[in-house]
Amino acid sequence: MSTEPAQPMRFEKANCLVLACGNTLRSDDGIGPRLAEWAAQRFRNDSNVRVVARQQWTPDLAKDIADADSVLFVDSSVSSAPGHVRLTPVAPHSSNSADATSHPATHHIDPPELLGLTRELYGSLSAHAMLLTVGAGSMELGETFSESVEAAIPRARGVLEKAVLRFLDN
Amino acid sequence: MSQTITIDPVTRLEGHGKITIQLNPQGEVEDANFHVTQVRGFERFTEGRPFYEMPGLMARICGICPVSHLIASAKACEAIMSVHIPHTAAQLRRMLNLAQMVQSHALSFFYLSSPDLLLGLDSDPVARNILGVAAAKPELGRAGVGLRRFGQSIIELLGNKRIHPGWVVPGGVTEPLSTEKRDKILAMIPEAYANIALALDAYKKIANTFKAEIAVFANFPSNYMSLINEEESIEFTDGALRLIGPTGQTIEDGMTATRFTEVIGEAVEPYSYTKFAYYKPLGYPDGSYRVGPLARLNIVKSIGTPKAEKEFAEFKQLAAGPVESSFHYHHARLIEILYGIEKIEEILADPRILGKHVRATAGVNRLEGVGQAEAPRGVLHHHYKVDDNGKITWANLVIATGQNNKAMNLGVLQAAKHYVKDGKFTEGMLNRIEAVVRTFDPCLSCSTHAFGKMPLAVTLVSAQGEELDRVVRD
Repeated sequence: MSTEPAQPMRFEKANCLVLACGNTLRSDDGIGPRLAEWAAQRFRNDSNVRVVARQQWTPDLAKDIADADSVLFVDSSVSSAPGHVRLTPVAPHSSNSADATSHPATHHIDPPELLGLTRELYGSLSAHAMLLTVGAGSMELGETFSESVEAAIPRARGVLEKAVLRFLDN
Repeated sequence: MSQTITIDPVTRLEGHGKITIQLNPQGEVEDANFHVTQVRGFERFTEGRPFYEMPGLMARICGICPVSHLIASAKACEAIMSVHIPHTAAQLRRMLNLAQMVQSHALSFFYLSSPDLLLGLDSDPVARNILGVAAAKPELGRAGVGLRRFGQSIIELLGNKRIHPGWVVPGGVTEPLSTEKRDKILAMIPEAYANIALALDAYKKIANTFKAEIAVFANFPSNYMSLINEEESIEFTDGALRLIGPTGQTIEDGMTATRFTEVIGEAVEPYSYTKFAYYKPLGYPDGSYRVGPLARLNIVKSIGTPKAEKEFAEFKQLAAGPVESSFHYHHARLIEILYGIEKIEEILADPRILGKHVRATAGVNRLEGVGQAEAPRGVLHHHYKVDDNGKITWANLVIATGQNNKAMNLGVLQAAKHYVKDGKFTEGMLNRIEAVVRTFDPCLSCSTHAFGKMPLAVTLVSAQGEELDRVVRD
């Protein structure tokens, strides 16, 4: 767990949505829900923070995003080194994009697609959208994390906390 | 030389599948098969488990319609226990099942099929998805999201979980409905009505532009089966089975779960892991039948709720007898969503829904039990056998997709014969053949009980078995 003190909070704060994704039965893929659990506890007394964890992100979540001023996506990553914690900004995907790699499905939709869908459906967009990922070492069946991911949890919590507090202050 | 076309995977389905189209030496379609390529498992690994665990285990088959599995499973367990559940529990389960039907139908119509219906079957495949619909018809996109959330929120409120709620148990439900939760659900109803009105209006405006597809999308005479209540109205949770024939005549009525083994058989075809259910007295394949929204609306004499009744009257104008084209599954789905919202409102208006007696208890009083419930895609049967200690010794599930299997195969063949010419297909033709399967909204994970990866694959094969063309999409 992070030992860094929380930032002082302002009287009026923006609404922040923490939107985690992952399968807790697939080893490191479960890091998103695990961090969401921690975030729900850390911000339990702050009504401006809403934490939602899903096995997969689906189009229905566009409404939750539309209702938030900022959104922090939390997920595992197979393209990062195991245990590597990354925080990157997310831009909305355009429906007219020529990006042939984007094929929104019913069962899974990625953060840029979710932001794009939110903009198309509700004409709104979160002022801030970031993606926090933790590099996965193993996606095998199992309910425990690999050593790299287990070791990265304190840092991931710290990054998550800072990101949320920054969102709330903006 | 004859040829074969393969579509692999077929997209926008609940599961993985593949279509093979066999051509004759003249390049004309001779046969077509819809293959389900996942494998079974659930029936075997539940052997040895206590029967009361079955609802929770069986619901894991599917993330889309776990509630129907919960209910059919709980009913099979109640047959083993020999109990009747309290009225309040039965109504709460009915509401839960309707909420699931609404969210599942909304997923099928808005997320899976509306890209074809609203953007066109020949539209650019890159944008033919939910994002494309959102850009072109945001009001309908919002309606779809709204209806999905309506159903899911009710499931979450009742079962405390959005997916795989454990609230339904053998004997009833684990806790009664609170006034606060009832009021929360009631507060969501006006928006749900507005959303389905928008969708029905939009669908009816565009349906006539699909006359060519309606003519060849599994448009043939068949039998139909569904649950029906004593008022001959639509029934999702209780009632008994009715089978009607191609002209709408009743073949058999009042088939309760206790008669399941007498009336339902399952055939096996070498090209699919999904079995082919049939009505035993007629044998296979003559006893094959369709289930789901189209079957339900073809069978019932009325819907039973006022708004949906008006839509149902309009739907019945589509044909003098049963409405045959599977394209009309889309329309039937929307009418059922409207029915579901009305019925939920009606159930909540009865003060007995807040009753505190919601669970019957008993041990093993029979060594065999069958439970039936309508899933969004059609009637679902769970059949269990137990030993004296209540441990499962054998289980079998007959799923909607298995019951629609023959019709889906014949539908693919009909569409392929119409659209595949000279041994070639274009993107438009390919998508139309997939769209035939999509009208049934098959759930391949349910039908094979697999751990599902989602997408399906079409192969064009010559008379000599040579693969000539193949389309694979993830």
